[in-house]
Amino acid sequence: MRLAFILGEIGSGLRRNVSMVVSVILVTFVSLTFVGAAGMLQLQINQMKGYWYDKVQVAIFLCSDGSTAAGCATGPVTPEQQENLKTLLDSPAVAQYVNDFQFESKEEAYKHFKDQFSNSPIVDSVTPDQLPSSFRINMKDPEKYQIISETFSSQPGVETVIDQRQLLERLFSAMNAASLVAVSIAGVMIICAILLIATTIRLSAFSRRRETGIMRLVGASKMVIQLPFILEGVIAAVVGAALASGTLWAVAHFFLGEYLSKQYPDTAFISPGQTLILAPALLILGGSLAGISSLLTLRRYLKV
Amino acid sequence: MIRFENVTKVYDQTARPALDDVSLEIDRGEFAFLVGASGSGKSTFLRLVLKEDRASSGAVYVAGQNVAKISSWRVPRLRRGIGVVFQDFRLLPQKNVFANVAFAMQVIGKSRSVIRDTVPEVLKTVGLEGKERRMPHELSGGEQQRVAIARAVVNRPGILLADEPTGNLDPTTSMGIMGVLDKINQNGTTVVMATHDDDIVNEMRKRVVELKHGVVIRDEARALYTSMIPVVGQSRRLKDASGRDETPPRPGSHEDAGEEQR
Repeated sequence: MRLAFILGEIGSGLRRNVSMVVSVILVTFVSLTFVGAAGMLQLQINQMKGYWYDKVQVAIFLCSDGSTAAGCATGPVTPEQQENLKTLLDSPAVAQYVNDFQFESKEEAYKHFKDQFSNSPIVDSVTPDQLPSSFRINMKDPEKYQIISETFSSQPGVETVIDQRQLLERLFSAMNAASLVAVSIAGVMIICAILLIATTIRLSAFSRRRETGIMRLVGASKMVIQLPFILEGVIAAVVGAALASGTLWAVAHFFLGEYLSKQYPDTAFISPGQTLILAPALLILGGSLAGISSLLTLRRYLKV
Repeated sequence: MIRFENVTKVYDQTARPALDDVSLEIDRGEFAFLVGASGSGKSTFLRLVLKEDRASSGAVYVAGQNVAKISSWRVPRLRRGIGVVFQDFRLLPQKNVFANVAFAMQVIGKSRSVIRDTVPEVLKTVGLEGKERRMPHELSGGEQQRVAIARAVVNRPGILLADEPTGNLDPTTSMGIMGVLDKINQNGTTVVMATHDDDIVNEMRKRVVELKHGVVIRDEARALYTSMIPVVGQSRRLKDASGRDETPPRPGSHEDAGEEQR
């Protein structure tokens, strides 16, 4: 009975205040979309880092079929060449710069590739043979990349030595800056949303002061009196958060999935499904912001 | 049922107290009129019973409980034991008669079937059977006040507080309302009614408590609106009190306007 009553109260509150409720929905929608955009940029950075990014800095790619580099004149890397390289990495001259290193076989390379490009059509056209095997090196000091590069580039069986970190770092810093901008805009918008929710709840409490006055007199509990107002704000904010989640999904699906991944097939993009892990966070964020701001407003404007 | 022990209520330190050292007991099942001019402290008395305000000093007991000791989350329980009726009825304009009375039961979580059974019964008690579907604006003032009384007593409170319930009504209608209040009192509910209506007080011949400037100046059983007995000892004190009538608007006189905000 009480639940039905509270739901009825919420319904009438939302109806009476439609324009304010719509504006709350829109403001939370926009602010949470910016929060979500920042989250998506971070997800995208993680996606592009792939398996090795946080573990190693330098990759020595070994020759495979069709390699054209000078060191690959003898064709694909032979087990002896591979053994020589390993000995060289272990030798004191090199080992002083190296924390540790790992060998990635073609099969492992294929597995990591599949993980990283799981959202991309390119994954179907690649076989383990096309991917080079490699040594992945974790440097004591990443700045000493040149030493490794000079030592190994000319070795037989080495196709190329790459500092992957350097390639990606510039891109990532741009993306981090972008997500910082998104978070700042989101911050301002969230302040807007909080103030707007507070105003809406205040109006709502004012327009229903007759009812709440009677509720107090006949001994309704604080919860029964306040809950409809709080839920009113929370529902509006959660609807806004749901719209924001839907928008992020649409961006991932249509812009990243259908457009950008065709333009840049060799870049790993996040899947629309991954953006949905942001949705619960946005819903909780929106709901709790609204809940807290309405609670504080009611404290001041609705005597119980 | 209601006991005031040396209760003083000060709204504004610079002004005279709204209630000044009032001691008073109203027994279970009693019917008491609270009379006195505007600003004499009648509404403050009622507000203290409801724990709308705290007494500045002294203790207020309602149903044996010191209201100052009731924690804020238990105040609703206190108020469930007290029905209140106002001069301006305070019905919900968009709800019909049945819904207005049922509202008081819904908000404290009574089940639908209990509401269906109780509301018509109470409407019959106040003489409104057959008018369940009417909207408040379709009713006369007297009928609206009957709805308000029905709402106040539908949860069977032990106490009914009425703050000038006949203030907006003509004498005949007022007598009808008094009949309803008397009937509720006969059923065992303690009724405290603040009023200016001398006809009613004289007609009913119930206990009369007269307040003036926050002081009880008369407390008689089966009394009239104005005292028949000249009070010898208190006359000087009354004069003193009335001599201070020029003091700027006293907080005690804000009652009617202040209630809008509740």
